[in-house]
Amino acid sequence: MQHTIPVQRYGPVGEKMARAVEACVHCGFCLLACPTYRVLGEEMDSPRGRIFLMKEVLEGRLGVDEAAPFVDRCLGCLGCVTACPSGVRYEELVTPFREFSERTRRRPAGERILRWMLLATLPYPARLRPLLRIGLPLRPLRGLVPPRLRALLDLLPPHLPRARTLPEVIPAEGKRRARVALLAGCVQQVLAPEINWATVRVLSRNGVEVVVPRGQICCGALAMHAGEGGKARDLARRTLFSFPDDVDGVITNAAGCGSAMREYGLLFTGHAERDRATALARKVRDVSEFLDALGLIPPPPLARPVRVAYHDACHLAHAQGVREAPRRLLASIEGLDLLEPGEADICCGSAGTYNLEHPEIASELGRRKATQLLATGAEVVATGNIGCMVQIRTHLTSVGRPLPVLHTMEVLDRAYAGEPLTDRSV
Amino acid sequence: MRTADPIASLRAIYPRERILTRPAELAAYESDALTAFRARPLAVVLPQTQEEVIETVRWCARERVPFVARGSGTSLSGGSLPVPGGIVIALNRLNRILRVDPEARIAVVEPGVPNLEVSRAAAPYGLYYAPDPSSQGVCTIGGNVAFNSGGAHCLKYGMTANHVLGIKAVLADGEVVQMGGESPEGVGPDLVGIFVGSEGLFGIALEITLRLVPRPEAYRTVMAAYPSLEAAGEAVARIVAAGLLPGALEIMDRLAIEAAEAAVGAGYPRDAAAILIVELEGEAAEVESELAHLLEVIRASGATEVRLARDESERQRIWKGRKGAFSAVGRLSPDYIVQDGVVPRTRLGEALAEIERLSRKYGLRVANVFHAGDGNLHPLILYDGRTPGELERAEHLAGEILHLCVRLGGSITGEHGVGMEKRAYLPEMFGKTDLEAMRRLRRAMDPLEIANRGKMFPPEEVRPELAGVRP
Amino acid sequence: MSAYTVRDVLRPKTIGEVQEIVRAHRYIFPRGAGTKTALVSPPPEATVLDLSGLAGIVEYDPAEFTFTALGGTPVREIERVLAAHGQELPFDPPLAAAGATLGGVVACGLSGPGRYRYGGVRDFILGVRFVDGLGDLVRGGGRVVKNAAGFDFPKLMVGSLGRLGVLVELAFKVFPAPKSHATVRVAFARLDEALEVLLRLLTSPFDLCSLDLEPPNVLWVRIGGLPESLDARLHRLLAFLDGHAEVVQGAEERSVWERVREFGWVPAAWALVKVPITPRRISELEERLSGLGAVRRYSAGGAVAWVACPGDPQALDGILTELGLSGLRVLGPPGPPILGAWIGGAFGRRVKQALDPDGRFGPLPWEP
Repeated sequence: MQHTIPVQRYGPVGEKMARAVEACVHCGFCLLACPTYRVLGEEMDSPRGRIFLMKEVLEGRLGVDEAAPFVDRCLGCLGCVTACPSGVRYEELVTPFREFSERTRRRPAGERILRWMLLATLPYPARLRPLLRIGLPLRPLRGLVPPRLRALLDLLPPHLPRARTLPEVIPAEGKRRARVALLAGCVQQVLAPEINWATVRVLSRNGVEVVVPRGQICCGALAMHAGEGGKARDLARRTLFSFPDDVDGVITNAAGCGSAMREYGLLFTGHAERDRATALARKVRDVSEFLDALGLIPPPPLARPVRVAYHDACHLAHAQGVREAPRRLLASIEGLDLLEPGEADICCGSAGTYNLEHPEIASELGRRKATQLLATGAEVVATGNIGCMVQIRTHLTSVGRPLPVLHTMEVLDRAYAGEPLTDRSV
Repeated sequence: MRTADPIASLRAIYPRERILTRPAELAAYESDALTAFRARPLAVVLPQTQEEVIETVRWCARERVPFVARGSGTSLSGGSLPVPGGIVIALNRLNRILRVDPEARIAVVEPGVPNLEVSRAAAPYGLYYAPDPSSQGVCTIGGNVAFNSGGAHCLKYGMTANHVLGIKAVLADGEVVQMGGESPEGVGPDLVGIFVGSEGLFGIALEITLRLVPRPEAYRTVMAAYPSLEAAGEAVARIVAAGLLPGALEIMDRLAIEAAEAAVGAGYPRDAAAILIVELEGEAAEVESELAHLLEVIRASGATEVRLARDESERQRIWKGRKGAFSAVGRLSPDYIVQDGVVPRTRLGEALAEIERLSRKYGLRVANVFHAGDGNLHPLILYDGRTPGELERAEHLAGEILHLCVRLGGSITGEHGVGMEKRAYLPEMFGKTDLEAMRRLRRAMDPLEIANRGKMFPPEEVRPELAGVRP
Repeated sequence: MSAYTVRDVLRPKTIGEVQEIVRAHRYIFPRGAGTKTALVSPPPEATVLDLSGLAGIVEYDPAEFTFTALGGTPVREIERVLAAHGQELPFDPPLAAAGATLGGVVACGLSGPGRYRYGGVRDFILGVRFVDGLGDLVRGGGRVVKNAAGFDFPKLMVGSLGRLGVLVELAFKVFPAPKSHATVRVAFARLDEALEVLLRLLTSPFDLCSLDLEPPNVLWVRIGGLPESLDARLHRLLAFLDGHAEVVQGAEERSVWERVREFGWVPAAWALVKVPITPRRISELEERLSGLGAVRRYSAGGAVAWVACPGDPQALDGILTELGLSGLRVLGPPGPPILGAWIGGAFGRRVKQALDPDGRFGPLPWEP
């Protein structure tokens, strides 16, 4: 599209944002790939519409606050990137735009407080855990709190798992085929530490030595997607410098984290750490991708056949292009009948903290996703992202069918251990 | 008499969230896929029922406010471009498939249903909806009906009009009418046939009965590479002369191949001057026999490479490149004009050679993608709007191509419609009396000319009897 | 009563003459060869415009697969020329052997059994030039197979019964003619069995040229295509049909469908009405017609019913209306052309107003 964006005004990212706008030909092929367009049915809440609005703001033709509600409602799922025939790098427009917009807009106080709360707690397990210990018993009072906090309470698990710190090094079983560094994540360590444990066990079983760097902290995804560029860089910097560079891969098992780390080059554009960030980003692999490329040692067959529906986390499928690898891993388990849900390319509504900031849209998407998954006739749902797991569990429960929802690594872990997939409670 | 808020009474029909008037909201609707034209509407309304659409049109007729109906806004001719001072009626929430009847082989749908959704709904019965414009994942049936949309597979089975059996519509003056029915046969004048392709100038279709057909048992898709566009065109002539009737027959030239490869990586041969995609479809035994003839013809036609898709995923890959080709061209150039001319098939070679000459004359690259089977060209004129004078040169080149099509006995539009983009050229195809008859027909449906005002017909002086109508 | 009484019959030789005649007369009744006997009786005050003098193929390029011909050109002449180049109008224009003109086929909107595969007359027409009610010559469409410019007048003229304009020139697309055909006649025990098989055929992978039902229990199925695959396809079809099947080929096969096209199955001097229908309505219609002594045939996979009856087909009007069906008189005594329930009135009236504001071409065909 034609534009008159004064590129220099926006620093080095200005060039990237402008390029994305130029690549867009306004064809509209992205509309139905966009979850918010499918729910709301309005042009402003479509990728094409948002690109146009962001362009107008950057050109000075439209105020930031006028475009803000629509850009805020973007899930950042990047389904549009998959659908776009013109190669628009939407993420290179929306992420820097959000950072720019945070600096210039005025959010209402309630929103500011919520965002501050989320960014002050979620990235820090040491703060999050005690808060949840207080918050969980308050769940019965959910009717008394404002909708946004209610959404937060609804997503919490029934009880808080015991804290289980990972060792610094997990050796490979048998012949060592590779050595990787693992991002332990932030929220995941608190809400579902078993995912990390399953991950390291599976990696070890496959001859991979796992290093869990101390000093790592949140990868910065939440802050980055919220437009808090400075905060994101602070967090990312610490993580960046805590990772060794002599590993075969930097492994993530949360789709949101993997995609954020792959965007480190963009995040640090115009900053001193850019080269180091880009080098790290190149090594980032989702654990399923890494194992698939390495060659999975097939687990033993399941004791009885189980129907498993695989859910594509948008930050894994669209943002990282990882679709086939986890399916191949799951399909290699004899007795596992892999099912494909309809509308597989549409986000479940989790998308970072989206379900806290836009609960109605997130609910609608969560409900649709749960319906599609149930329609496959599956007994278990597998996916590669903690956020999706929480969202899907919540909505399966709300339609009355609380199927077990497992991380792909948990499925493999149980298969290796000869444990059933379906007997444990959610 | 003007009131302070021209749409005050319209607000009574819609809740706040379904009548859009804020600047950011209106900005998003200023254009469709033809970005050369932009216009800001007074308001955009989002009806959820047929009744709301009817009430809105009646409001427009009472208040004399022009309206433009819009589906997904993928028109390449400016069909859903707003009229300044008018409103946009966004139909994408009327997206229900009301009924699929596999015995009658019909689907009854609301206008906001995306084209591909119809086939998805019909799939469990072994049926599908045949017209396949390249935007079919997004474009809506309402839009398809307005523009008689085509697609790559209309050589054998026709365009949208050949698959619409019945329509219920609200005309621009507010009367609700019906035409056609559930049968492919009819008695009396083909009223459905005149409504389809009327480019929104009569009114708005509310319910459309579509014909479904059984999925072909077998597809055999061949991609052949040629050292020149002429050779590819010649191959098409030979295929057709051999009495074969492929489901689709498409050609892409070097530039289009480059764009498609960058976008999709369909595996097209990058060194070919042109590729030909031929798809046979039908009963398995017949398709195999036809394939033998086809391969014989292709082998004798000087193809440098011939590939046969071995399964459905290879077939989809071949098509993905072709179907995304227009938008993919955005990777090659900041701007482009996509055209839609038709020439008699036997004069394709001549037309392409002339386009090449014009491209050199104007110093602009032209990528060519086209439905070779029916002579429907899509030259994509690449330009950079920031370079002074390039837009004007591109427009002149576009005009010359349209003249060429008419001169060779073809048409200014094969499937995108006239819309806003080509209205000035309609008099090249039709004489005064032809246009007069069309105008009379339009006025019989829309006496105030509020339905998609200013589209399709070349601009003329304001009729005095319409003075007092808002611009 | 004879088909028409002698009166003013004018026989123009050029399009210009047609225009002059239209401008000079109050009420014009166009006719071709008069083969649709129920539709060629003008009221006494009308001037008959005999278009048989406006005949001839204007343009035909076999490599283009299109032709243009004047409205009065006999269809059989066109088909002869097409056949010489291995091409055809796949929809079997009816009454061609009887002398039907191209303009007449279009004006009555009639298609034969072959319309099953690729569509009927409306799906093959590309362009039209007609003289409207003001005496102006109007062009719609074009001569190329894909054309989205302007309103689709060619389609509108299909079935217009001479009430919207005089069709002086028409352009059509043609298809390659199949190189071989075979027909299967299969009898079932009862109507509902035949209908069940008909329905299965409608969603089957077979590419059929024609699919007719001869009530109460006989299906006629025609396939066409390359000779090398015909046998295999035939065998597969026979296995699918699994009834008392008889294969017909060669000259006998051709004459079967010739007879259908020419309505040879309609008893002499009987009336014939065309009733668009869908397969699920067939048993209902059958039930209502069985008492009337009507002879019926369902064509094009159950998309159309042809109903022949001994007396005035006005008797069908009530039945059709009750069933929500419409009908067109084709053969037999004259009367209001359209019977039964026809829903296009409101829209159709506006079309008439635009193209024939002075009513030179008579009343709307659905009004008495």
